[in-house]
Amino acid sequence: MLALDRVSKTYPNGVQALARFSAEIKQGEIVAVIGGSGCGKSTLLRAIAGLDRASSGTVTLDNEAIASPHAKIGIIFQEPRLLPWLSVADNIGFGLADLPAADRREKVARALERVGLVDKAQAWPRELSGGQAQRVAIARALVPQPEVLLLDEPFSALDAFTRRDLQDHLLDLWADTRPTLILVTHDVDEAVVLADRVLVMRPRPGRLFDRIEVNLGRPRDRNSPLFENFKRSVLTSLDRSLDRRVSDRDATQGPGQAMWW
Amino acid sequence: MISDAPALQQTSEPAESAAAPSRIVRYARPMLGVLLPLILALGWELVVWLGWSNGRLVPPPSRVFATITDLARSGELVRHIAATLWRVGLGFAFGVVAGTLLGAISGYWSLARRLLDPTVQALRAIPSLAWVPLFILWLGIFETSKIALIAVGVFFPVYLGVMGAILIVDRKIVEVGRTFRLAGPAMIRRILLPAVLPAYVVSLRVGLGLGWMFVVAAELIGASEGLGYLLLDGQQLGKPAQILAAIVIFAILGKLTDWLIEIAAAPFLRWQDAFGRATET
Repeated sequence: MLALDRVSKTYPNGVQALARFSAEIKQGEIVAVIGGSGCGKSTLLRAIAGLDRASSGTVTLDNEAIASPHAKIGIIFQEPRLLPWLSVADNIGFGLADLPAADRREKVARALERVGLVDKAQAWPRELSGGQAQRVAIARALVPQPEVLLLDEPFSALDAFTRRDLQDHLLDLWADTRPTLILVTHDVDEAVVLADRVLVMRPRPGRLFDRIEVNLGRPRDRNSPLFENFKRSVLTSLDRSLDRRVSDRDATQGPGQAMWW
Repeated sequence: MISDAPALQQTSEPAESAAAPSRIVRYARPMLGVLLPLILALGWELVVWLGWSNGRLVPPPSRVFATITDLARSGELVRHIAATLWRVGLGFAFGVVAGTLLGAISGYWSLARRLLDPTVQALRAIPSLAWVPLFILWLGIFETSKIALIAVGVFFPVYLGVMGAILIVDRKIVEVGRTFRLAGPAMIRRILLPAVLPAYVVSLRVGLGLGWMFVVAAELIGASEGLGYLLLDGQQLGKPAQILAAIVIFAILGKLTDWLIEIAAAPFLRWQDAFGRATET
């Protein structure tokens, strides 16, 4: 179980990005974190990943405190962040350096098959499309079989069609080993398609605002009325989370932040 | 459907004829670089041949070439080239190893950079030839002082190139290394050095260029063999053809060794997604 206990983060410039965020996430659960810009959702993810340290509060995975990147926690960023000097296969196997070469090759081969890029094994990252590159990034993060996989707006740079495709693909891959997924997103549709639970955050300082359980079976039909219902309740919650900001918009809002995402 | 067939044959024809000139272009393109020196050489040859100049101080290419063949026949040329190549090779090797190690250390550890870099930069500000008297006092007049001088010349561009390139490696790529729990030497080896390789190759080439520069300085100061000695000998005995012969050989060797670095690095840089690649074809 992943436990977040009053996690706060204040940056050196005095901005409080995250205030007393607490949540308990069961093994194998899929949680979407959604909220307006500056609500600290990326900060939260980086604290769980151990990339940044929380100013106060603790992140614990199976009773082990997380203060630096951990073998059981993988992360997928908004950009694929593939290493351009490694082939697709070597990128996928990047986290397996400790394994004997034969094991590594076998795992990479299986992962390539699972993400449907067998024919691209020896290609350079520059030869991939955006969707293919993100699939390689997913494979790279999943191949070491993490218990927790963090996703920081992983599909936001892709076109709508590719995004849907990859969301389904992610669920399919998730079913193999059922890691805990924590997905930061600004896409309500994506949150409802993927998550068992949606955490809505509220900005300035970033904190937990609302929890919505998505009691829908899988696979989910994006067009069903029930699906629409959940989307609407997430959207309503998001609107309420920004109420306070609407009233003092002129005082706090910088240019280019007019939209909630 | 039948009428389609001749149409297909027709389209294949211009495609073939388009391939033929491209092959010529492929072989002709490297020759473009030879064009300018060739024209200049032939022009000067002609000027001397026509008697517009006696060519005593600036001997025509034929006389320079004759000097080179004379030196080659007596076996002296090989001896001089070998001596110079050996000095450049050793000095380059020492300079590169030291520059890469220290550059990687100062690039990666900010504490090391704060401790080390100001001193290195201060040393870099000293004109390297200023070391010559000291090196001769410390290391003697023979090989050691020459190789040390060349190594010093090679060290600085390599050090600066490696450190500077590491400092501007994309933070996002470094973060990928961190999520896989890389740190210290593993981070340098698996993320930072491959990321800086293109810049590293450039700094090696700059370093090699300086190596050639300093070998001349070293050999002009005191040597009984080497291409620099040929230069000095030519000056003292009034043989401009011999000076030009040494200069031409320097140009050829410098270009060749630079090209060696380029082709040795090419297989490691095939991944690059850069402007230079697109204009290459």
